[in-house]
Amino acid sequence: MLATDYNYDVFTGGQEDFLDFAMHAPKVTMRAPSFPVEELATGTTLEMKDFWKTGVTVIEFGSFT
Amino acid sequence: MEDLHARYADRAVRSVFIYTHEAHPGENYRHHTSMDDKRANAQAFVDHSNIGREMFLDDLNGTAHRTYGGLPNMTWIVGRGGFIHYKSAWTNSADVEDALNKVLDFQENRIRNQWIPFYSERSAWSTRPMDRFREGLERAGPQAVSDYEAMLEANKAKRAAPSEDVAPRVPGNFYKTEEEDSGK
Repeated sequence: MLATDYNYDVFTGGQEDFLDFAMHAPKVTMRAPSFPVEELATGTTLEMKDFWKTGVTVIEFGSFT
Repeated sequence: MEDLHARYADRAVRSVFIYTHEAHPGENYRHHTSMDDKRANAQAFVDHSNIGREMFLDDLNGTAHRTYGGLPNMTWIVGRGGFIHYKSAWTNSADVEDALNKVLDFQENRIRNQWIPFYSERSAWSTRPMDRFREGLERAGPQAVSDYEAMLEANKAKRAAPSEDVAPRVPGNFYKTEEEDSGK
C-alpha cells in the first residue's frame, strides 16, 4: 500500500477493516511482530521488541482524530 | 487508559501509544504527507489529552499499524518475550484491565500452578460516548464530520438492500444478529 493510500484524506470506513483485523492480523498466542518506531519525545528509533524485553506491554494504536 | 498506565506502572507493565494515520482527517488536522506532519499531530494530541504514556510514531506507510490489523483504536497486550496475550478491535479500559490482570496472574503463577496458555476468543461490549466522538470530529474540522456522516449513509444504504448472496459474517461493531437484521 502506498503512503498516500494509507494516509487517506477522506474517511470512507468500511466493514473490510474489521475483517482484516479478525482474519489477517496476528492472533493471540502468536509472537508479536516487531517494527521500528520513532519516539516522539526524543526522535530516537527503537524496535517494538524492545518494549517486551522486560515485562508486559500494553500497546494502544490511535490518532488525534 | 492513562489511569491504567499510572496504576500498573510499578508492576513491570509498560504502556505505550503508537501514533497511526489520522482516522478522521479534517481541515484542522489533515492527513499526513510527511513524518513532520505526523509528529506535529501526535504532539498536538499529547498536549491536548495530557498523554503520559510513551508516544511512538509508526512510519509513514503504517507498516506496524497495518500488520497489527489497521483499525483506528486497537489495544494489544504483549507478554515478556513477545507472546500476544490480548488483542481488541476497540480500546475499552475496563476490558484491557481485566485482560491485564489475567496476564499478570498467569505470569506470576504459571510455574507453581502448572498453567499452560491456550488460544481463545470472545466478544466484548463497550458504551459509545457519541458526544465525545462528535466533539473529536468537530475538532478535526467540518470535513471530518461530513465524511463520517457520508459513511453512515453509505452503510445504511448497504443494509437497506440485502441481496440473496449471504456474505460471511463480518466481525466488528457492524455485526448484527439475524434477529436484529430482520427488524424484530
